[in-house]
Amino acid sequence: MNRARILAVAGKEWREILRDRLFFTMAFGVPLLIMLVLGYGLSLDVENIPFAVVDHDRSELSRDYIHRFSDSRYFHLLGYAENEGGLSRLLAASRIRLALVIPDRFQERLLADRPVEVQALVDGMFPYRAQTLKGYLDAIGAEWNRELLVAFLGRTRGVTPERAAELAAPVRLQTRYLFNQALKSDWSMASGLMMLVLMVSPPFLTALGVVREKESGSIYNIYASTVSRGEFILGKLIPYVGVSCFNILVLWWIATAVFHAPFKGDPFFYYLASVVYVICTAGIGLLVSILVRTQVAAVLLTMVITFIPAMLYSGLLVPVESMSAEARFQARLFPPYWYLQIAWGAFLKGLGWRSLWLPVALLAGYAALLWTLGLALFHKRPTR
Amino acid sequence: MRDWLRRLRVMTTKELLQLSRDPVLLIILAWFFTADIYIAGSGISMEVKRASMTVVDLDQSEASRELISRFRAPRFQVKELLFAEKEAAARLDRGERMLLLEIPPHFERDLEAGRSTEVQLQADTTHTVLGILATGYAARIVGGYATDRALEKLGIDDLQLAAMPRVEARRRVWYNPNQKDPWFMSISELMTVITMLSFMLPAAAAVREKERGTIEQLAVSPLSPFQILFPKVIAMTLAILAGTAVALFGILLPVFEIPVKGSLPLFFSVTALYALAVSGLGLVIATLSRNLGQVSMLVIVVLMPMLLLSGAWTPPEAMPWLLRELMVISPLYWFIELGYGILLKGAGVALLWKKAAALGLLGAGLFGLGAKLFRRQFR
Amino acid sequence: MALLEVRNFGKRYRKRRAVAGVSFSLERGELFGLIGPDGAGKSSLMKAVAGVLAYEEGLVTAFGVPLDSEGNAERVKGRMGFMPQGLGLNLYPDLSVEENVDFFARLREVPVEVLRERKGRLLAMTRLEPFRDRAMKKLSGGMKQKLGLVCTLIHQPELVILDEPTTGVDPLSRRDFWAILAELLEEQGCSALVSTAYLDEASRFHRLAFLHQGQLLDEGTPEALLARAPGTVVQFRASSPATAAARLKRRFAGVESYGDRVRLFLADTAPQEARRQVAQALGGLEVSELETLEPELEDAFIRLLPAAQERPSPILPGAPGPAARAARTLIEARELVRDFGSFRAVDGVSFQVREGEIFGLLGANGAGKTTVIKMLTGLLPPTAGEGRVAGADMGASSLAIRQRIGYMSQAFSLYRDMTVRENIRLYGGIYGLHGRELAARMAWVLEMAGLEGAEGERAGRLPMGMRQRLALGCALVHRPPVLFLDEPTSGVDPLGRRRFWELLTWLSRGESVTILITTHYMSEAEHCDRVALMHAGRLVADDTPDRLRQALEKEAGRLLELRVDRPMAALRVLRPHFTGVSLHGSRLHLFAKRPKEAPSLIRSLLGRAGIALQGVRQRSPGMEDVFLYRMGALEER
Repeated sequence: MNRARILAVAGKEWREILRDRLFFTMAFGVPLLIMLVLGYGLSLDVENIPFAVVDHDRSELSRDYIHRFSDSRYFHLLGYAENEGGLSRLLAASRIRLALVIPDRFQERLLADRPVEVQALVDGMFPYRAQTLKGYLDAIGAEWNRELLVAFLGRTRGVTPERAAELAAPVRLQTRYLFNQALKSDWSMASGLMMLVLMVSPPFLTALGVVREKESGSIYNIYASTVSRGEFILGKLIPYVGVSCFNILVLWWIATAVFHAPFKGDPFFYYLASVVYVICTAGIGLLVSILVRTQVAAVLLTMVITFIPAMLYSGLLVPVESMSAEARFQARLFPPYWYLQIAWGAFLKGLGWRSLWLPVALLAGYAALLWTLGLALFHKRPTR
Repeated sequence: MRDWLRRLRVMTTKELLQLSRDPVLLIILAWFFTADIYIAGSGISMEVKRASMTVVDLDQSEASRELISRFRAPRFQVKELLFAEKEAAARLDRGERMLLLEIPPHFERDLEAGRSTEVQLQADTTHTVLGILATGYAARIVGGYATDRALEKLGIDDLQLAAMPRVEARRRVWYNPNQKDPWFMSISELMTVITMLSFMLPAAAAVREKERGTIEQLAVSPLSPFQILFPKVIAMTLAILAGTAVALFGILLPVFEIPVKGSLPLFFSVTALYALAVSGLGLVIATLSRNLGQVSMLVIVVLMPMLLLSGAWTPPEAMPWLLRELMVISPLYWFIELGYGILLKGAGVALLWKKAAALGLLGAGLFGLGAKLFRRQFR
Repeated sequence: MALLEVRNFGKRYRKRRAVAGVSFSLERGELFGLIGPDGAGKSSLMKAVAGVLAYEEGLVTAFGVPLDSEGNAERVKGRMGFMPQGLGLNLYPDLSVEENVDFFARLREVPVEVLRERKGRLLAMTRLEPFRDRAMKKLSGGMKQKLGLVCTLIHQPELVILDEPTTGVDPLSRRDFWAILAELLEEQGCSALVSTAYLDEASRFHRLAFLHQGQLLDEGTPEALLARAPGTVVQFRASSPATAAARLKRRFAGVESYGDRVRLFLADTAPQEARRQVAQALGGLEVSELETLEPELEDAFIRLLPAAQERPSPILPGAPGPAARAARTLIEARELVRDFGSFRAVDGVSFQVREGEIFGLLGANGAGKTTVIKMLTGLLPPTAGEGRVAGADMGASSLAIRQRIGYMSQAFSLYRDMTVRENIRLYGGIYGLHGRELAARMAWVLEMAGLEGAEGERAGRLPMGMRQRLALGCALVHRPPVLFLDEPTSGVDPLGRRRFWELLTWLSRGESVTILITTHYMSEAEHCDRVALMHAGRLVADDTPDRLRQALEKEAGRLLELRVDRPMAALRVLRPHFTGVSLHGSRLHLFAKRPKEAPSLIRSLLGRAGIALQGVRQRSPGMEDVFLYRMGALEER
């Protein structure tokens, strides 16, 4: 390894990054943009669900019942419909996601201590939303029934309201949300997006950086010179890893300052782990660049092998634990899964070396593997 | 007019010929319309399954065991049952377990005595979705248990229950009654694929002409920009419709057993309209870039937000209002509404014509812009 | 021992065989040329020699090291310099001139002090000194090429390998390039392996090899190669050159006509006998200025080509001589101006082309030729002035006017993934042909281009020459009266080019097609009826090739070719005394105002420096000489 030659390659690469407008944007602008757009837009919260009601009763109680929904932050009352037909049209047109049908004699029956049946029509198109929505429905309904029961007990058994409440709900569940007390998906998303951006951006830069030289033919300067393969790869990748190491800081700042995600862990640990991750993902780019010859192919291949695992198998959107056994195994084969453990661990749980050494070690292992493979497959005397 | 049509036909034939001779493109088309959709449809689920939990039972009574037994598969998986608090919380911190349920001492005694008692649930909510869903289920289980105990304690049996005021919500889930994820994911992926390809294919075809220099040859010919660009769109739209048919009749219907409620001809017409609109956007990008590398970069920069903000992956209602308003300009948003509307909901023309018109307008505008920029690119 | 030894070299790409059985060697201090058209296998060979391409057959040995593995190749890379094909493509566009040089130097570990001195010298020699801080992407083509040379030579390699360094560069820059290369080679005592597709450059090498379709046709010194193709070139003027050419073609191959001149090569024939045979074949047709000349390297190359490699061109129907000169003007540029931002690419260009004329637009890269064509074809609106084609303003051209022009660009705008027939049908369809009419034109194009039997081939798989003729056919499918050709012959082998020009001549004479053509090959300008020279956006000359040549001889004197024993030294001695002194292999060219007295003056000048003059002869200047002289004068201004 000759330091002067590594520096020569790295210095040239660095200048090109700074001067090529497109590349500069790719290096610094795009990661920022993705982080901001997705951070704002990619929210899994199920809130403000538009719903409509057919109220055949139009009584005080029925309105009260409806208010239980419209007053919560989860639902947004779009309006009333005349009949069930109107509701189904609204559902079909996706104007609403939930429809309630309150039968006539709603108030009358309740006051007469009789059960009533209310119909709730849920748009099941998006299963996740439907599941969550059903949860909300149940919770609001259960609370309503509990109150009815308390009042009923007070009336029929002659107990105090407090006692009645105790009798009606002998077991209460006290839930503590750990790590993300406010249940803000922003927090999880912002820290999780660092995983996504750092999975996609370094390989893109690396792959394009190398393939660009292949496409233009300037790679022959390297082939024809005495620079060794290792020196070239090192010199070539140092600037890209450097850019990404800088981006870690910017992304971290966005996550904490713009999206207000709490950072409870050890910054030094987290930075180091992120650098290992970046080295690892840059290695993916290196491999891509060796396999393909045109920039288009590099873009497409990088997209397929980074974006999809990062989106589907990391656990960011789709919970890994809920997957089938083989999918859970597959997820563990991709670096994003491990880095997400680190990111969420460091941001939300305040974890450090002691709990997260394994993911870091695995990422380091991946990095070593990818770079070794890259070195072995890169030839200065190719067959075509 | 006959001449005009003939030229359009000649150019369209040319585009189709070229497409049929490009093995790479054909492989890409085949992959996306079959394997990709299958993978997305079969592998992804946003459900809570086997949420790992630690239970600390400080009571060790019949009542506590009864409650614990209600946390069961497929939603929950009790990994260990401890009888002391020691070490329990650490498992959560380390991310090994998701939930920690703690049943207090004297749980049974309190229940027998009619005193209200409290069980504690700690949940790891780093993954907010999982957190919300899992705690929701837990609350339902505990609530159900509480109701059972309360009724038992009060000596209210089923018969008496009918003489009590309560609101029974009869939930009916429409369109996807069992909330099958493959239905949603495969349709979503099909639309994503349609978007991506109708965006990239015409753009790639246009830029390739630029790279090879054939575009100048066409520009000096009596063809108008419309006659040069539109056949690309027609040809690619035909290819995409064919791909959609393969995906629909080869994967979605037979494998995932999606019941088609609406009219398939309507779905294909809307798909064609959509592909035309998105191709317009692709052509604008093609006129702005010099080579395929630039096109693919621009496509990614435009496509990624477009996909993520369309509601294909996340519920649109939860977005900040500004983005929710911006979604209106994303053609994919309209397509998803239309596509699901037709396939799953059985919506007809009467319900959808406004959305279809919006899509058509958007497409015409974009295409017009592309054609306008076309001449400028030789300068 | 030879510096470089190539034995039975062969290279395949998957199933396709690119090179087979090539052997040659290169001695220390030699300038060795690999000459052949595109696809001859030059690049594969050069890459293998540079140790950057693995190969399957034979063995390349450099500096005594067999280059048979990546490890062995590494051992000699420090002693070699390699410049791959493509103008400036191996340089870094966003880096400045100096940064580019520095990068190569650091890569090659040139010590800082040595670098400073060497860089200064090389940049001064290439006249890049004033542009040290300019970004490489803002250099002109010629400057890029010189920078590439500097970067390749910065570590003083013992062997430089330059792959088509002059392709796409204008003649002026090309001349500079050869001068600098020769000087550097002598100064640094290194050897060079250079490839080129320009046959006119063949005479610049000490030794050379002809490559064609992966085979080595022959190798040796230019003299030896010429000696192996003995014969005589006969050239004359005729009032009806088409008839003369048609008569000669019945008996001889290799008949070419340039305007009203006809040239043919008679192999193995002495001058006297050649004259007699030509006179006999002409059968009493009146000709003038008949002269016999020595064959050129191009004649040798064509003779070496395997027989029947191209089907003989059909004898096109004869036609009256140069088109009636009184005909109407079909292309007209009036004070055309085009600005790109603050840069004026075309500055007040005016010319007229009459019906049936072949009009050649010559100029360096970036002189504005392509911009002029783009304005005339309506691709680009002019900033000022007006371009009229067939009487209509192209700036605001209607689609109907576009129906009347044909256009063929550098890239041979064909769809490579479509067959010959599909391409013709497509272009026919675009121009509104259909049914029986289309079928008739299809047959016409196939016959004209000699493509019968290849209708089902994909255009991309055709050899260059056929592809070029197909593109021409597609541009003509709708019988346009006006044809624009933008550098249509780059990369085509000499036989293909000859045949292409035959077609153009026939089109202009027989079919009265008006042709405007741009080209890099100065020798091709001889085929044009009229030639215009462009420089920095302006038209600097516009006349017939003959009159341009006469004007040159009047201004600069006669062109002399000298044979000397130490050409580099002779070059330095003669430069202060004569204009246009340039090196051609082991020979020198210069202009002499008084050709009678010049030889004795030269002899005494050289004698004083101890250089022996071995021979002097007068040459007729080519269009390249005209171009170089005109441009040189403008550059100095």
